[in-house]
Amino acid sequence: MPLYDSASSSAGSCSGSSSSSKPPPPPLPLQQDIDGLLAVAGYKIRSSELQQVAQRIERLETAMGNSPADFSQLASDAILYNPSDLAAWVDSLLSEFVQPPTCSSEFIPGPVNNGSTTAESHTPPVQQNITYEQRTLDNQLTVVTATEEDSGIRLVHMLMTCAECVQRGDFSLASSLINDMQGLLARVNTVCGIGKVAGHFIDALSRRIFRGIGGGSVGGGGYAFESEILYHHFYEACPYLKFAHFTANQAILEAFDGHDCVHVVDFNLMHGLQWPALIQALALRPGGPPLLRLTGIGPPSPDGRDSLREIGLRLAEWARSVNVRFAFRGVAASRLEDVKPWMLQVNPKEAVAVNSIMQLHRLLGPDPVRNSPIETVLNWIKDLNPKILTVVEQEANHNQPSFLDRFTEALYYYSTMFDSLEACRVQPEKALAEIYIQKEIGNVVSCEGSARVERHEPLAKWRRRLSGAGFRPSPLGSNAFKQASMLLTLFSAEGYSVEESEGCLTLGWHSRPLIAASAWQAVAEAGSSAACVG
Amino acid sequence: MARSNEVNLNECKMVVPLNTWVLISNFKLAYKLLRRPDGTFNRHLAEFLDRKVPANANPVDGVFSFDVLVDRGTSLLCRIYRPATAEEPQPNVAELEKPVTAEVVPVIIFFHGGSFAHSSANSAIYDTLCQRLVGLCKAVVVSVNYRRAPENRYPCAYDDGWTALKWVNSRPWLQSQKDSKVHIYLAGDSSGGNIAHHVALRAIDSGIDVLGNILLNPMFGGQERTESEQRLDGKYFVTLRDRDWYWRAYLPEGEDRDHHACNPFGPNGRSLEGIKFPKSLVVVAGFDLIQDWQLAYVDGLKKAGQEVKLLYMEQATIGFYLLPNNNHFHTVMDEISKFVGSDC
Repeated sequence: MPLYDSASSSAGSCSGSSSSSKPPPPPLPLQQDIDGLLAVAGYKIRSSELQQVAQRIERLETAMGNSPADFSQLASDAILYNPSDLAAWVDSLLSEFVQPPTCSSEFIPGPVNNGSTTAESHTPPVQQNITYEQRTLDNQLTVVTATEEDSGIRLVHMLMTCAECVQRGDFSLASSLINDMQGLLARVNTVCGIGKVAGHFIDALSRRIFRGIGGGSVGGGGYAFESEILYHHFYEACPYLKFAHFTANQAILEAFDGHDCVHVVDFNLMHGLQWPALIQALALRPGGPPLLRLTGIGPPSPDGRDSLREIGLRLAEWARSVNVRFAFRGVAASRLEDVKPWMLQVNPKEAVAVNSIMQLHRLLGPDPVRNSPIETVLNWIKDLNPKILTVVEQEANHNQPSFLDRFTEALYYYSTMFDSLEACRVQPEKALAEIYIQKEIGNVVSCEGSARVERHEPLAKWRRRLSGAGFRPSPLGSNAFKQASMLLTLFSAEGYSVEESEGCLTLGWHSRPLIAASAWQAVAEAGSSAACVG
Repeated sequence: MARSNEVNLNECKMVVPLNTWVLISNFKLAYKLLRRPDGTFNRHLAEFLDRKVPANANPVDGVFSFDVLVDRGTSLLCRIYRPATAEEPQPNVAELEKPVTAEVVPVIIFFHGGSFAHSSANSAIYDTLCQRLVGLCKAVVVSVNYRRAPENRYPCAYDDGWTALKWVNSRPWLQSQKDSKVHIYLAGDSSGGNIAHHVALRAIDSGIDVLGNILLNPMFGGQERTESEQRLDGKYFVTLRDRDWYWRAYLPEGEDRDHHACNPFGPNGRSLEGIKFPKSLVVVAGFDLIQDWQLAYVDGLKKAGQEVKLLYMEQATIGFYLLPNNNHFHTVMDEISKFVGSDC
């Protein structure tokens, strides 16, 4: 694979500090000791810890009561993490406001060293809470609706009935329902709400019934050139991808702090929309930019063009203009599972960030077999010992075994997404953005087996999966939250909301999260840490 | 009398269960970080800290919920909670607004607390409370996500409450079979209780019948410093200073606490004599520093000839109704159930 350099120098010298992260304490055995009432209120704390946490709160109150400091100002300046983890939260407030940090002025209570200024390190209770989450995550269906007209409600009825027929295999009834629905569609308001999205669902059901579930044009396989255009329009028309890129970049930037040789592996380069902002941020960081390598994975171009290379060149151009030493490598692969780690040519001396924007769900595959693609890929990501793994996924349960459940979930997910799109002003991009979403709908509803690649799973499931694969959460903090919120006001209309969920951030429409961003670190093996020696 | 912080904290810890103490103290701490001396509010941090839960159209413990955008213009969202019935334990998601079938179905419009500035309809603590009310009262609960201060001052919260009331009243699917009318109750805690009162006021002469008001530790005040405010200042999670801050944040700029929103039976209040006002259930916590104002409210209703029942919970602090781990909680829930049930 060709390697593209923006500078004429060779791989460049790496001088810089070693990243020494204390190996976290071994996870405590699974405990059922979480206080149930506080858990329902959104706080995870062990009953056995209540007394201790109460004492710390008292200390905090006393100190704050006696202090003349303006805590609201301190709070504005501080970066705070994971309010659900009550014990760690109180510790971080103590270290932030009561025991001023003894480190340099650049101190940020970083996620790795969460609460490290206090005596004992605290294992986030995420792992202990699996049984509680289990109960809540299965069987969740979130509906945000505007007042529907009768015809809209009838349409939903018919869609559900039709989906049920399909599940039962009663295709003749299903197809007559399709006819009826197409008739009804003509009389329904298709500007917003269910009416808008119903047409796409009728089409998808229709395809499933008449063409079978092989999929065809909406199938998995490779992307087409059109996909990139649609993606770009989706990027422009609404804030979801901007949020994804912005949040991931924030985490990557923080993870790269102090490193002079950094390497980003992007699981789906597309037009490289995420990277100019990161390159710029690196250019502006105190102490100067690192040498940045970017490895972009993408499908082979169908028409002989090397689109990865073209994008790489443009990014190199940009990097040159802001004086960031930059090297690009493209890795062409039809499927993410075809990528082998040696293709990425990761140098053990560099700090690696692995960036996956809506890609991991494609690895879930039809059968929960051993060494399924997701496990294989997560394993080699772990072996790369990345400083950070950024994961953004659709916040939806589109991989349920029952077709009807999937269909129902998708109906509400996408109708909410269309509603949110409606609120955005940008006109020309919207039409193609809708087609982008339409293709997703098509895949979820009318494809099966390996053709069905849009296997979205909710955050709670990804948390379990990633924890099980040997990653631990690197919480996104109040700064990322604030900036994401501000980004929304800049780019979008009313109604979007950012929420914090145990260290992850979600963006949604009103009270329904639609996309979730999280960051992870590989749980270090004893004795390993990347050292960059100059 | 010497009053060190240490003593205060210990007293406070003795009257509530430990997990309640931790919960409310944590709120108190967090809220302090959000209030700025200049009267502005750190909304981003507030939203970051608030623990929220999504609605769930699949019933859990017999209750399901969904959100409705009641007014696009103001982005007014309401969360609707309904009981799953024995006949239909798994509601069809296309039929979330299926007509209620019972002879009489109370519809409780709930306004969450937060001193006009904090929390949302989808805050975990309020989602839980609303779910409880469904089972308790065999009711449909509509939780209103009203606009908050200081970004949205008086009368925004009341306007949103009024919009929600009109919306609820005009839903055919919420009409009780007995008389094809919607049987409406207004309920709220803290600022929500205040909103319930003022929305009920607005409903007078509108033709919309409100059958009852349920006020849990309602937020009222006035210019005067009452005995309870002085005695209990800073002792049980709440300080007079923070109360003042929230009133300054909600009331129109330049207005003082004798504004009728804050002090409905004060010098600027409206007389309710001869007015058809709903019967009221008012719950007052014995350790709530604003109880004198709440008791004055009850008195005001009585003097105007209005039906009111006072539940004075001597040993209760603010927020006692958030966790079902104390006797006051169960007493109050029983009373609420009787209050709503008595119209059937």
